[in-house]
Amino acid sequence: MALHRLLALMTTMHLAGVLCNVESTFDEITPQIYEPSWMYKCVPDEGCQRSEHPRPTLSDNSTSAFFDSLDVCRIVCGRFGGIWPKPVTAALSSQTVKIHPNYLRYDLLNVPAETRELLVEMTQVISNNLLAECGGHVTEVVDTQVVVIIVVKTAITSLNWNTDEQYMLDVQTRGGEVSVHIEAETIYGARHGLETFSQLISSDKRDFSDVEHCGLVLVSGAKIRDRPIYKHRGLVLDTSRHFIPMVDIKRTIDGMATTKMNVFHWHATDSHSFPLEASRVPQFTRYGAYSGSEMYTTEEIRELIHYAKVRGIRVVIEIDAPAHSGNGWQWGREYGLGDLAVCVNAYPWRHLCIEPPCGQLNPANPNMYRVLRNLYQDVADLLNSPPLLHMGGDEVYFGCWNSSQEIISYMKDQGYDTTEEGFMKLWGEFHNKALQIWDEEISAKGLDPQPVMLWSSQLTQAQRISQHLDKERYIIEVWEPLNSPLLTQLLRLGYRTVSVPKDIWYLDHGFWGRTVYSNWRRMYAHTLPRDEGVLGGEVAMWTEYCDAQALDTRVWPRAAAVAERLWSDPTSTVYSAEPRLQRLRTRLIARGLRPDAMSPAWCSQHDSKCL
Amino acid sequence: MKMMSWGDALWLGLTARFARVGRLRRAVLMLAAAACTAAAVLYWKQQTDDSANRPLHSMYSGIEPQWSWLCQHDRCERYQASDTTTLQSLQTCNMLCASTQLWPQPTGPVSLASAAVPVRSDRFSLKVVASPSRDVTKHLNEAFIVMQNHMRTLEHGVVGENRRSDIGPPRDVLVKVSVNGSGDPRMRLDTNESYKLALRPSGNSLVVDITAHSFCGARHGLETLLQVTWLDPYAGSLLILEAATVVDAPRFPYRGLLLDTARNFFPVSELLRTIDAMAANKLNTFHWHVSDSQSFPWKLDSAPQLAQHGAYGPGAVYTSDDVRTIVKYARIRGIRVLMEIDTPAHVGRAFGWGPEAGLGHLAHCIEAEPWSSYCGEPPCGQLNPRNPHIYDLLEHVYREIIQLTGVDDIFHLGGDEVSEQCWAKHFNDTDPMDLWMEFTRQAMHVLERANGGKAPELTLLWSSRLTRSPYLERLDPKRFGVQVWGASQWPESRAVLDAGFRSVISHVDAWYLDCGFGSWRDSSDGHCGPYRSWQQVYEHRPWATETPESAAWPVEGGAACQWTEQLGPGGLDARVWPRTAALAERLWADRAEGATADVYLRLDTQRARLVARGVRAAPLWPRWCSHNPHACL
Repeated sequence: MALHRLLALMTTMHLAGVLCNVESTFDEITPQIYEPSWMYKCVPDEGCQRSEHPRPTLSDNSTSAFFDSLDVCRIVCGRFGGIWPKPVTAALSSQTVKIHPNYLRYDLLNVPAETRELLVEMTQVISNNLLAECGGHVTEVVDTQVVVIIVVKTAITSLNWNTDEQYMLDVQTRGGEVSVHIEAETIYGARHGLETFSQLISSDKRDFSDVEHCGLVLVSGAKIRDRPIYKHRGLVLDTSRHFIPMVDIKRTIDGMATTKMNVFHWHATDSHSFPLEASRVPQFTRYGAYSGSEMYTTEEIRELIHYAKVRGIRVVIEIDAPAHSGNGWQWGREYGLGDLAVCVNAYPWRHLCIEPPCGQLNPANPNMYRVLRNLYQDVADLLNSPPLLHMGGDEVYFGCWNSSQEIISYMKDQGYDTTEEGFMKLWGEFHNKALQIWDEEISAKGLDPQPVMLWSSQLTQAQRISQHLDKERYIIEVWEPLNSPLLTQLLRLGYRTVSVPKDIWYLDHGFWGRTVYSNWRRMYAHTLPRDEGVLGGEVAMWTEYCDAQALDTRVWPRAAAVAERLWSDPTSTVYSAEPRLQRLRTRLIARGLRPDAMSPAWCSQHDSKCL
Repeated sequence: MKMMSWGDALWLGLTARFARVGRLRRAVLMLAAAACTAAAVLYWKQQTDDSANRPLHSMYSGIEPQWSWLCQHDRCERYQASDTTTLQSLQTCNMLCASTQLWPQPTGPVSLASAAVPVRSDRFSLKVVASPSRDVTKHLNEAFIVMQNHMRTLEHGVVGENRRSDIGPPRDVLVKVSVNGSGDPRMRLDTNESYKLALRPSGNSLVVDITAHSFCGARHGLETLLQVTWLDPYAGSLLILEAATVVDAPRFPYRGLLLDTARNFFPVSELLRTIDAMAANKLNTFHWHVSDSQSFPWKLDSAPQLAQHGAYGPGAVYTSDDVRTIVKYARIRGIRVLMEIDTPAHVGRAFGWGPEAGLGHLAHCIEAEPWSSYCGEPPCGQLNPRNPHIYDLLEHVYREIIQLTGVDDIFHLGGDEVSEQCWAKHFNDTDPMDLWMEFTRQAMHVLERANGGKAPELTLLWSSRLTRSPYLERLDPKRFGVQVWGASQWPESRAVLDAGFRSVISHVDAWYLDCGFGSWRDSSDGHCGPYRSWQQVYEHRPWATETPESAAWPVEGGAACQWTEQLGPGGLDARVWPRTAALAERLWADRAEGATADVYLRLDTQRARLVARGVRAAPLWPRWCSHNPHACL
């Protein structure tokens, strides 16, 4: 096949030469039978540029700057090659070496024994990703030995905000052998190093190739020092407005691991549905799941949490309460427990909740707290230690509570007025009781009290928050729009925060109401304050208008833009990031995701020509 | 985490309209048969009399969630299965309750039974009672197989062996089709797409009579038949309405979707899936914007140089066989493939090989910089109207288009966004507008030659400066039509209609599906925004104005445009669907009402049909709203 093509190419080149000087008509021209096959040149400060002709004549011998494969051009072109997110420092060779996964070996001798099992799984993920570059099959076999020596200094396997994620990565090629050194404090740092190593590798396939032949090439020399700027780099996925099958969640996790995000914030439940199986309270899914097949079993959840851990990602489960709770909580009366939630599915909904269906937990009913305790026990059983719970806490509608005689008389007993401040007290009481339950349940497991996360709300307003929420215990996830002073105010008050400005980092915006879509450039350009109190940020995929069908195209590659903002917080321009993000996009596609296109393919073949 | 305006789009105007739901009443044809509804299973309500003191864990029992839907007050309401005596799936409730669940809504009388019977895909058989030609018969047979295959796909949705035995044996269904009219199976400008469908029980089996005046009409009938057939997940079986009559015909003859395969390449499989989804919505024109300045993916037999120099790569090429496959696939689905090679602007490197082949410059300004001086978006390029070879070349292109697609009554010349600056730079002796007019005249001339000496009945141009006064007057409305893409309020949009040009509407402010994703180039905000919601797509009726001229407007129909600067294969379906389904009903039925409650219900069901067909259509609203539609309206 290849030979045939070459011959055809030579023939037509010859023909073209002959015809060059004669005036001819279109019909006299012999149709040419070769195929377009562009080459790419790395142009300093611009990026990879397609050749002007589909069969460039390489007159000079400087073929090193020309590449058959756009992806290969990208991994050596520019200071940071094809690495996303951008590392702190990188020195990359412009040479490449061919490798094959069969001759890739990991040396884990300098890794604490307790962490080895996990690290082996991590290396397997990386090896699979390398195969994926070639669609699962690397046809070109070379026997260059590649040894990846990993050094991990501590035996820590827990993942939290104190986890040291930095790493060093050195690649050297000598005498036909490649040695790769990865050094990190923790296995999570080592995993990031492995991820970066995998991003020094590309298939040598042409873009839009139609051949099966595929080999892998590696940047032959690299020296990289890297660590994240922000500790908390998350993605919120709502699985209540629509059920998202496990396989789609795992694919999302794959994308997060590729971009070194480290928190999967699972908005597991809402008033719409309760897909999370709780082994102590099967009613949640029985009354709350969309169907028997649209729920997550305990086994699946456990598996997901491990799947994420192997990819350096902590799973935070959010049980949104006291609002955003409805379906799944509506069985109390039937079981003699009274109303666990009020105004569930109430209609008309306008004054009772933000969107249908309504539902708010009933803080007057002690049985509600008993059931909540059971649920928290189940969550604590599932999460890795130290467990991080997100308690929700947003968009409480006092009109809903006010519609319940039981709650009004409870408030009277407690001495709360039915004024705004009275309801605030009730709301604050709920969170503190819930936190106490959570503390008791994890202390029963021998663990120290852990901070919990909470959405910003009326209750977290600057003039009010200190009366209700202890800054040592609650981390506030601020979703107010950019023009809100809340984030700054909370930092001044000493609260730790995670930032998700809804008008920039909400992935569902632009498809409903008056919301505006943020493209990756806009998401990338947004910066967070550099402040001890800002743990990091998240990008949020609410699923009112999105389900598994549309998930990837809504999330990627935009979430990657936020991932780089949080990992590197670069000062360089959006424009200089684009070639690397184009490489990331083809990498995500190779790994089975379906990211949106950022531009016409012509622009990705002509870096910096579409400004 | 949501702002207060949630559901505003839903809310606006809907409260007032809710009362109108159920206008289309179902005739209950088979009262006696009502007992045979999707069967009933008794679930004993669980009785519990627990006291609050009992330990919680002992009162929980792990039963899978199970809902049942009952049609009450013309709407399906969800109940806990244990609270009802009837176990009925959402799908079945929807099909048997007040809404027709048909999409697009038929324009003639409809009566549907409120009872269903079980069927199986392999128990359907076709009998062609009357057919004007062997070709039509062959197409009917193939269209029938397509329908059966879709039913089979639904049946694959049955998990395991859970077909319920108490619903009775599946019925045989005999589909009798009569076509009295055109012997040409192609979608033509004069094709009569109307059809009548009558489904009735006959002994132990069912008989369906479909009568139409063309293959395309009969095929629409099969599509409607498919829509009264659904999978009941609780019964583990396909069900079909026991009786139905539908009289139907489209309001507009041209109902299209444009897909741009030049800005980003889409594999053939993506195109086929899109065409199949179009068929599900009775759209009839796949407007294939094959090439543009960015790439030229079509490898013509007579001019392979174009793809050689213009394709993104060897795997980003459509061969003639690919085109034939697409055309055949579309034809069985009642869809014409309208291939557009846009000229004289919107061309690029594909035309860059002239000098080396001794043909001189076929195009100018190829990839010229700064692009903003010579074109609307990078890279630039515009044909050289003074090079006679370009017309030879276009004749080859046009001939191959007509041969491959079999569409010779309608043609699209492109013709938008010509840069006067580009031509002015090379031809300072002539007004660029005159060059453009002359180019169009010559292109029309070679088109006639390519079409056997006869001009197509309707040759479309994009609206542009050329279709504005004083140039519009120089175009012949008997030969040219205009695809109007300017904003609906622009005076030009109306001028071409007032001047009597046959028009296809693609207003950017309603039917451009690419809008709302921000700018993809740094130095320009030349993007359209915001996103056009399906409601906006649906409610756009530019012909429904009160002006006296509008009654005479020759509106052929419309097309949604999916330009792909910011779209690749992975996101195609969710971008196009269900919004293009909304367009399909606008153009088929053109009901005066906007996105009423009934439209939500039917479109939600149609979206589920698309997903079942393998189309990744985006959802309309939270799944809870599909379960409890009345509560979200």
